Amino acid sequence: MSSMVHLIQNENMKIYRRVGTWVMIGLVVAAVLVTAIFTNMNASDETSNWRTDAESTIQQSEETLKDSEGMPKAFKNSQERSIAINEYRLENDIPPLASDSIWSFMDSSTGVVSLISIFTIIIGAGVIASEYSWGTIKLLLIRPASRTKILASKFIATLLFALFSLVILYISSFIIGGLFLGFDAVDQPYLTYSGGEVSETSMAVHYIVEYALASVNLLMMVTFAFMLSSIFRSSSLAIGLAIFLMFTGSQLTFILSQYDWVKYILFANTDLSVYFDGSPLIESMTLGFSLVTLLVYFIVFLFLSWLLFTKRDVAA
Amino acid sequence: MSVKPVVQIRDLTKVIGKKTIIDQLSFDVYPGEVFGFLGPNGAGKTTTIRMMVGLMRMTEGEVLIDGSSIKTDYENAIVKVGAIVENPEMYKFLTGYQNLVHYARMVKGVSKERIQEVVQLVGLQGRINEKVKGYSLGMRQRLGLAQALLHRPKLLILDEPTNGLDPAGIREIRQYLRTLAREENVAVVVSSHLLSEIELMCDRIGIIQSGKMVDVQRVNDFVKNDHAVMVSFEVDPVEHAIHAVKANFPDCEIEQADRKLTIKIEHELIPEVTAVLVEKGVRVYGIQSSVKTLEDVFLEVTGGEQVV
Repeated sequence: MSSMVHLIQNENMKIYRRVGTWVMIGLVVAAVLVTAIFTNMNASDETSNWRTDAESTIQQSEETLKDSEGMPKAFKNSQERSIAINEYRLENDIPPLASDSIWSFMDSSTGVVSLISIFTIIIGAGVIASEYSWGTIKLLLIRPASRTKILASKFIATLLFALFSLVILYISSFIIGGLFLGFDAVDQPYLTYSGGEVSETSMAVHYIVEYALASVNLLMMVTFAFMLSSIFRSSSLAIGLAIFLMFTGSQLTFILSQYDWVKYILFANTDLSVYFDGSPLIESMTLGFSLVTLLVYFIVFLFLSWLLFTKRDVAA
Repeated sequence: MSVKPVVQIRDLTKVIGKKTIIDQLSFDVYPGEVFGFLGPNGAGKTTTIRMMVGLMRMTEGEVLIDGSSIKTDYENAIVKVGAIVENPEMYKFLTGYQNLVHYARMVKGVSKERIQEVVQLVGLQGRINEKVKGYSLGMRQRLGLAQALLHRPKLLILDEPTNGLDPAGIREIRQYLRTLAREENVAVVVSSHLLSEIELMCDRIGIIQSGKMVDVQRVNDFVKNDHAVMVSFEVDPVEHAIHAVKANFPDCEIEQADRKLTIKIEHELIPEVTAVLVEKGVRVYGIQSSVKTLEDVFLEVTGGEQVV
C-alpha cells in the first residue's frame, strides 16, 4: 500500500540526514582536488613534437608486427589499433592528450571511483544492518509495506547514492581539472578504433562510458555488501568482507589464472574494459560471457538478500 | 458480548528448535477495552506481540485483526495496528518531526495536520524539531506513542509503555489510554510485568506463563473473587487478644507482630471480631483491612517466582 517513491524518499532521508554521508562526499571532492594539485605540480613541459613521436610509434608497431608469428591475437590487435589511431592523428592534425590537459585529468580521476565503491559499500552495508542495530527495524516493518518493497527501496537508495557520488565526481573533476589545467583542450575528440576504422567521439561521452565501466565493479561489490548486510545484520562484517574482497579479489583471480575455471569467479569478470582495449584474463572469455556471469552473480546476491530479509524472524 | 472483537488470537503457537515458546494461546480483545498482558519476564509476552504484528512467523494458529489475517493478508491487517515493540527506538539523527514524517509516508492518508495533532496529543510540540538524540526516555516514549497513533489504528499495542516514565508521565499515559479506549473505541493491548500498573490501567487481564495463557479475567473479578481479607488490629495486650480470637474464631490464620494482630477473615466478620475483643477487655487502637491485591492473585496463579 505504501508507494515505492515514498519508501525511497524515506531511505534517502536516512542516508542524507547523516553527517557521515556528507563527509564521504566531501572526501570524494577532496580526492579530486589532491589529484589535481599533484598533476599540476608534476606536469612536465611536453614541448617535444607529437608528430615525430607518433611517426616513431607507428614505425615501432609496424616492425613488431612483421615478426609477430605466434604472438597472441589480442597483442596484434592492439598494435594495429595503435598504428591506425596514430595515422589518423597525423592526417587530421589531432594531437594526443597532453598529460596536463583536462581530459587526461578526467582519466586519472576515474581512480576515485574505487573510493566511491568503498563509500557505497559502507552505505549499502549499513542500510539494512543499521536498522537492526538501531532497533528501528521493529517499527519499520510493522507498516503496510511488504518487506520486499522495503528491501527494494533500500537497494535503490544505495544505488542512487552511488550515482549521486559519480555525478559529483564527474562534475568536480571537470571543474577542478579545468581550473588547474585550463579548459583549452575541452573540444578535443576521442578516437576509437573498431573494425579497422577510426572514428571521433566526444570526450565527455567517452568519460561517461569510462565511469560506467569502472562502476561495474562498484555495482557488484555493493550488491555483495548489501547481501552480507541482510545475511549477517552486521554492517561492520559486511563492510569488512566486501572491501577485503574488493582489494584481494582481482589479485586472487590473477594468481589462479592458470586454471580455466577461474573465469567463473566474479572478479575475473568485473573489469569489462579489457574487452575494449586490452586482453581478457582467459582467452576464451568474451564480453557476452562476462555480462552473463555478472548477471548471474547479481541475481544470486539479490535473491539471497531478499530470502533472508523477508523470511527471517525479527527477534531481539 | 455481541461486539465484534478487534483482535482474535486462535491457538497461537511458536516453536523455535525443539522448544515451544508460545503454546496454543487464544484470546480476544474488544474495541474500547484496555487489555493487560501480564506475565513474568521471559513468559512470552514480547514473542506474542511480535507474532501479532508479523515480525515473527507463527508456527501454528491465527491472528486476525479486524477480520484480516496477519498471516495471509498482512498489509490490510497491519494498517489497523499501531504499536511499540519493546523500547521505542527512533532514528536518533533525525528530529522527532522527521521521524513522524518517515512513518507517515508509509501509510496512506496521514496529513501534515494529523502529524501536528498527534504531536499536540502527546505533548511534544515544544521539542518536536529537535533531534531525537537529545530526548529523554520519557520523550522517546511519547514519540513512540505518536508514531503508533498517526494512522488512527483500531488496535494499539504497547509493550511496557510506562518504562522509563516518571510518575506524572505514567499517570498521563494511563489516563490517555483510557480516554482513547473510551472515546475513540480503540482496543488497547498493554504488556507489563508490573502488576500495579496493569491493575490501574486495564479492564481485563490475561496472565501468561511459560508461553501458556493461565487465566483471562476482568480486573475487578480478579481481585474480588475471594472475599477473605487481611485485617490488622492494633491491640493491647496482644496475648489476650490472640486468646480471644482463637477461642471464638478457631479457623482463621493469625499473625502477630509487636502490638499488631493480623487475621485473615471474611469482610463481614470484622465487626464481630472487634466486639469480641472489646468484650474481653482488649484495648483496640486501630483496625485496618487490606484488600487482596492483583499481586497476591498473580503470585497465586503463576505459582510464585518461577521464571521460565
